[in-house]
Amino acid sequence: MTVRTDLHLHSCLSPCGDLSMSPAKIAEALAARGVQLAALTDHNSALNCPSFADACAQRGIVPLFGIEAQTREECHVLCLFPRVDQALALGEELYALMPDVPNVPERMGDQVYVDVDENIIGEVEKYLVASADLGLEDLAARALALGGLVIPAHVDRPAFSLTSQLGFVPDGPWDALELVRMPPDDGQPPPEGRLDTRGYPLITSSDAHYLEHVGRRAFDLDLAGDALLGPDGSVCVEAMRAALARRPAPGRRAR
Amino acid sequence: MNTAELARTLNAARVCAPEVDREVAGAYTSDLLSDAMANAPENGVLVTIQAHKNTVAVATLRDLAAIVICNNRPIPDDMIEAARSEGIAILQTAEDQFAVSGRLYPLLRAGS
Repeated sequence: MTVRTDLHLHSCLSPCGDLSMSPAKIAEALAARGVQLAALTDHNSALNCPSFADACAQRGIVPLFGIEAQTREECHVLCLFPRVDQALALGEELYALMPDVPNVPERMGDQVYVDVDENIIGEVEKYLVASADLGLEDLAARALALGGLVIPAHVDRPAFSLTSQLGFVPDGPWDALELVRMPPDDGQPPPEGRLDTRGYPLITSSDAHYLEHVGRRAFDLDLAGDALLGPDGSVCVEAMRAALARRPAPGRRAR
Repeated sequence: MNTAELARTLNAARVCAPEVDREVAGAYTSDLLSDAMANAPENGVLVTIQAHKNTVAVATLRDLAAIVICNNRPIPDDMIEAARSEGIAILQTAEDQFAVSGRLYPLLRAGS
């Protein structure tokens, strides 16, 4: 069985996310575009994940609860969890490690979290597109220890990516790499000048900040008969990890 | 020194020139945006190779007057658009961060 999947979505909690991006509206857009499995991944915070859980339940979408974390190196990394409490725990840790730079809503955008009926519950004070004082390896270890998946974001983009900050894809416990564009999987080593993804499985996702972008670049996740959900009704991380490992991974043999 | 004089001093291209040429007070050189967010001086100049619109967000938060993009890094349209709406000048030069900082140091160091 394959599942239509979008693992990178911003809500109205991200300053750069449109105010209309409530979890309810995102779930509605996901359902309309045939996405079956989706992760909410706001910058450094999971405070909209509780209402994302409710919204996905109403629309029949399987949710993952995530954060697009920003490390000390200024790399963006998707950390995805089957349960809300795991994402909230990482969010609290990151928040404590972020600088005390307040958001300026009228210039940078609002950072609000809402309930499933789009009522504003609260506003986040620190500007969220900031680096937590935590290295890439330590972030990955922390997310794994909390029971999550780790996917460096938009690796082929010129800002806030492994490529822009480090110049290469380092070894790490990456369950996949997110790209904006999939490279041709022709079995050849990447030519000079093209990003070497070093055999890690590759995905694409929407990185939506506006409703019209929800579900763009969604990908098919092949579960090969595994059950996506565990006995508690949340996503089974091992099945998810195994399915991600079935994605195209140019250069895998070389590893 | 204002942002127009800054451009002349550096012989840099004015990629985004707001209507008002703001006075420049100080400078900071860094390619790590979080570092610039913590340390760049108000009304200052950020000397960097980070040519994307997130740099404008940092400049907005710190109320910077200008961004100098070194090594002639290409500057995307959305960065210019963001800077225009925030009234932040963007200059582009073939020189690297070391050379630009050296030129600015005697002109902008505190007390000069």
